Amino acid sequence: MTDTYITLAHGNGGRYMRELIEGTFARHLGNPLLDINADAARLPWDAGELMFTTDGFTVQPLEFPGGDIGSLAVHGTVNDLAVAGATPRYLSLNAFIEEGLPLTQLDRIVASLARAAKMAGVVVAAGDTKVVRRGEGGGLYLATAGIGVRTPGIELGMQTIQAGDAILVSGPVGDHGIAVMLAREQFGLKGELASDSASVLPLTRAVLGLPGLRFMRDPTRGGLATVAHEISRATGLQAGLQQAAIPVRDQVSAVCEMLGYDPYYLACEGRVVAVVAQADAAAALAAWRALPDGQDAALIGHMQPGRAQVVLHTPLGGTRILDELEDDPLPRIC
Amino acid sequence: MSHDAAYWLQKIRALDLPSRIKIMNVCGGHERSITLAGLRGALPGNIELIPGPGCPVCVCPEEDVYQATQLALNEKIILVAFGDMLRVPVNVPKGEPRSLDAARAAGADIRPIASPTEAVQIARANPDIPVVFFAAGFETTTAPVAAMLAAGVPPNLSVLLSGRLTWPAVAMLLDAGKPGFDALIAPGHVATVMGADEWAFVPARHGLPAAVAGFTPESLLAATYSVLRQLLAERPFLDNCYPELVRPGGNVSARRQLAQVMDVVDANWRGVGVIPASGFGIKPALAAHDARLRFPAYDDPARKRAGEMPPGCDCARVVLGKIYPDHCRLYGRACTPRTPIGPCMVSDEGACRIWWASGIREAKVA
Repeated sequence: MTDTYITLAHGNGGRYMRELIEGTFARHLGNPLLDINADAARLPWDAGELMFTTDGFTVQPLEFPGGDIGSLAVHGTVNDLAVAGATPRYLSLNAFIEEGLPLTQLDRIVASLARAAKMAGVVVAAGDTKVVRRGEGGGLYLATAGIGVRTPGIELGMQTIQAGDAILVSGPVGDHGIAVMLAREQFGLKGELASDSASVLPLTRAVLGLPGLRFMRDPTRGGLATVAHEISRATGLQAGLQQAAIPVRDQVSAVCEMLGYDPYYLACEGRVVAVVAQADAAAALAAWRALPDGQDAALIGHMQPGRAQVVLHTPLGGTRILDELEDDPLPRIC
Repeated sequence: MSHDAAYWLQKIRALDLPSRIKIMNVCGGHERSITLAGLRGALPGNIELIPGPGCPVCVCPEEDVYQATQLALNEKIILVAFGDMLRVPVNVPKGEPRSLDAARAAGADIRPIASPTEAVQIARANPDIPVVFFAAGFETTTAPVAAMLAAGVPPNLSVLLSGRLTWPAVAMLLDAGKPGFDALIAPGHVATVMGADEWAFVPARHGLPAAVAGFTPESLLAATYSVLRQLLAERPFLDNCYPELVRPGGNVSARRQLAQVMDVVDANWRGVGVIPASGFGIKPALAAHDARLRFPAYDDPARKRAGEMPPGCDCARVVLGKIYPDHCRLYGRACTPRTPIGPCMVSDEGACRIWWASGIREAKVA
């Protein structure tokens, strides 16, 4: 393909579109199941429950330290399946490309998406591209739907959570949120921080065999506090978190302090929050800490009787309520 | 700071203190650290920490926020402002945009920024559109605005300045007698810019202990210990418990830039009134960059409830440290972060917002 930028002709169903699909998408994502000439993919499926999910991706900028919209589109959907206890198998991919996007950038992003899919053990089995007019999209929007398989008998869910259960997090929180914010260069801040965007499948697999595992979720939008809030609301129990135990990187704390953000509300894209029976908490922690992405895993609190809210216990013995996120956080004045 | 919070707490607990001591802080950042670390609960019960005039968003005159909102709605401009200002409510008839946020939703081009350099970037990127920088803040925020003006800005950039000095508000409280507090924790960031010496009048003229503090629990507890010791020894002086950053004369170049482009003027504080020599005004030589001179005054003094606090709102008394946030009748009832009535429930620096975030959900009044 010799074009430099996406034009509306790349979406007209004709030669340009075929070249775009063959030269960019099929070249990176090609696999026996992805027949670009078929209207639907035939998916082999072994025993087990089918798990199905979908997610959309609009991140700005399209590329940021530690990832890009392509890898994110894989991790987001793969992680939703993984925390539900499934092994992700197939993805579909919808790309909404804005006229004027440099083809070299699209190529980088699709290549990154392909790498992420390979790492996570999923194949893109179906796809579609559309081109929208300049000004009608943020360069590139992606949507992925995912199918995974789960062994029957795995009962995960908030309804299984009991008072006394431990709350675990697989690593430092807020990296993705701050990395993307720094990449926007909106605040003139620079840093070495990379997004934590990754498949959490190794993490979820490592604890799936524990009988005391109750529930897992990846704390994306709204962060750790939002997941804790959802658990608290659904169970009617209080989520008591120990501030000193929650892993937060120094760079994340520093930016949060400067701009008035709260790291507990910032998005992660490669972490897992798990609720585990206290008896299995140590085993879960050990399993996570043995993995490269789980070295900083920590037991950060417990579910307990009391008013259904999220209470953060400070190192000096104070408490603070982590409320449900209302507005988008805004930088503060001083 | 070589000692940790537990060390200072132990030292404070070992003091033989009178029955009730009230220590005021005058910085939203201090109040935030105190509340979110749970210092009130950790200190002996007879030590009260009361938030004072420390929230620049809260004291920004209603008229100025109204002016900014109307400018953005009526003129073909880009209005940039610090994010905190966007949700501050003003008094308008029902159905009209009552904050910058609402004006933005109604179509005005309003962009939150975090530093003056962003204002300059936006002005450079849009040379044909006037850009108005609504700059409300204390010395800490006004100094970078002064630096920006001193360095020279694009011709299409002007500033709607609502800068305030903190110490005159404390001086006013002390001059009025019965200040309602026994000691002062002076603001660390303000002192970094303007110098610790600005606060020497507190012990020298009024005989009250004072200490400049940083923003960690350790630094705040060290300052608390210092003022308690001063009280017990009856030897008030100005202590500096934030020596890492605070010098007696402050940041010399920041002060020079402030003096170069701004005059100190009498200024209105929301709900409080005019405090002499407590505000910054842009010097006449820079009139071309003064939005108050470049654009029509939309502030209609005949407007219903212009400049007034909302009915029942006690923000002004909270700001002056006369009452605690949960002593306001609206706190947690009509006024919550979701439906803020007064500015103290809007800003992250506002005492009501901070107390709410810490989990205090009910007013203490009947």
